[in-house]
Amino acid sequence: MSSVIEFTFDDKELTGEKGQSIAAVLISLGTPIVRLTRFEKQPRSIFCGIGICFDCVVIVDGVANQRACLTQIRQGMSVRSQP
Amino acid sequence: MIAIIGAGPAGLAAAVAAARSGAEVALFDASTNFGGQYWRHRTDVAGYKAERAQKYFDAVISSPNITFISEAQVWSAERRDGLIQINYLQGGAESFLTVEKVILATGAHDRTLPFPGWDYPGSMTPGAAQALYKGHGVVAGKRILIAGSGPFLLPVATGLAEAGAHVVGLLEANSPLRWARSPIALLRNPLKFFELIYYLRLLRRYSLKPQFGAAVVGYENGVAQIARVGSSLRAKGVDRREIACDVVAVGWGFQPDVSLGGILGCVEKVDRDGTVIFQVDSSQLSSQANIWIAGEATGIGGADLSITEGEIAGLAASGSEIPKKLLRKRSAQHAFARALQKSYPVGDGWKEWITPETTICRCEEVSHSAILDSIHELGAEDSRTAKLLTRAGMGLCQGRICSRNVAEIIAGARKCEVSPSERIAASNRPLAAPISLGVLADGESLN
Repeated sequence: MSSVIEFTFDDKELTGEKGQSIAAVLISLGTPIVRLTRFEKQPRSIFCGIGICFDCVVIVDGVANQRACLTQIRQGMSVRSQP
Repeated sequence: MIAIIGAGPAGLAAAVAAARSGAEVALFDASTNFGGQYWRHRTDVAGYKAERAQKYFDAVISSPNITFISEAQVWSAERRDGLIQINYLQGGAESFLTVEKVILATGAHDRTLPFPGWDYPGSMTPGAAQALYKGHGVVAGKRILIAGSGPFLLPVATGLAEAGAHVVGLLEANSPLRWARSPIALLRNPLKFFELIYYLRLLRRYSLKPQFGAAVVGYENGVAQIARVGSSLRAKGVDRREIACDVVAVGWGFQPDVSLGGILGCVEKVDRDGTVIFQVDSSQLSSQANIWIAGEATGIGGADLSITEGEIAGLAASGSEIPKKLLRKRSAQHAFARALQKSYPVGDGWKEWITPETTICRCEEVSHSAILDSIHELGAEDSRTAKLLTRAGMGLCQGRICSRNVAEIIAGARKCEVSPSERIAASNRPLAAPISLGVLADGESLN
């Protein structure tokens, strides 16, 4: 588990370990807010952690509604927050 | 060929039993690795009876009869010319596999109850906290409060402490004295005492002292509000204790995922505690021919019962005889599952914790007051109508998180009980996983 993966979250360059999910990296870096909600702009983060609740959805390489808790980081991946 | 959906304890046990009987098995899981939520692992397996999980992993890897189809999201299944077609997404691409027989071992997720602040970052399920440290090597926060009800809180609290988190509290809403109501179930499952001793030792090692009769009733700005509660979950008095923490991990037992079996027409029923589960016969066969169901979806009972049910389903699906000993074991484990229900009831007192502003449907941001308005001002009489009026339960999770709570809120406001048919309707959904219209359209052209 030593190989380092580089990716971006809203254009910020981040690194994590191979096998980690996007959400796990964000939480390990102390930045748990994954998105702001559509209507009330409330901050949300990982909740169920296993792909059931869809609270941590993000845009991965242009594809929306990807669950940050399930999606493993890949080298060069672009992750964007989604409303 | 037998398709097994879900590679947790039940699915793995089913796969190994069926493969040993000579059957060809396709084992599906949404995750990269097998193990499911409970035996989730990253590099090695740790925890109570870890060697048992390893034994199943090794058996699956070494069996030439088992093909593991990982990162596969099964979104639907259908009957086709006497066979069953499993439709799944893998790496964004649509695939299907046609098989003679299916074993559903789709498991469960944490049951959650709303409280003010449960939608803020830092509030998560115990399952999420466990998934983060077991699956990704990440401790969810520096100071973690574990709360809710049920024995699952023990492995989560001790596992997090072992992983280096400061567990600032372990709150169990129910009293341990409730186990006294189930003496026979305890005597029939003596090995459970070893499991209890295992966790008591870990609690002592990490100086964790569970507090009984307490629940988190609010979370704001890094402070959890704690109330004393009884088994009804009604708060006793108005005094609230405060615990500072970065993470509150609150869970109230488990909710099985019945979507796929529902799509296949397997008959469901309502368990004693209101959970919607499948009806199965003594061989775990569902109401549908050639579809067996094992594990939490036939009644919440934990990994031991899931393994036994999986083994029985695997043997039955591969046409092997089921040893009497295995059936007796399941009967004792069923008794223990009933004892769990009696010991860790989830009352409806939580409806008094929530305020008008509390979010009930997280996806569509529907507040408690919006749901009450749909009843009192718009005339909704059931959760389906309230859903259409408020969008509660119509978001991406398809009501997996809120539909049971919405139904309870509406029944409470109308001073009636949630009917069994309403519970079953609220648990079913047209797709087992969300997919794009493009994929659906492509699926049509396959016909």
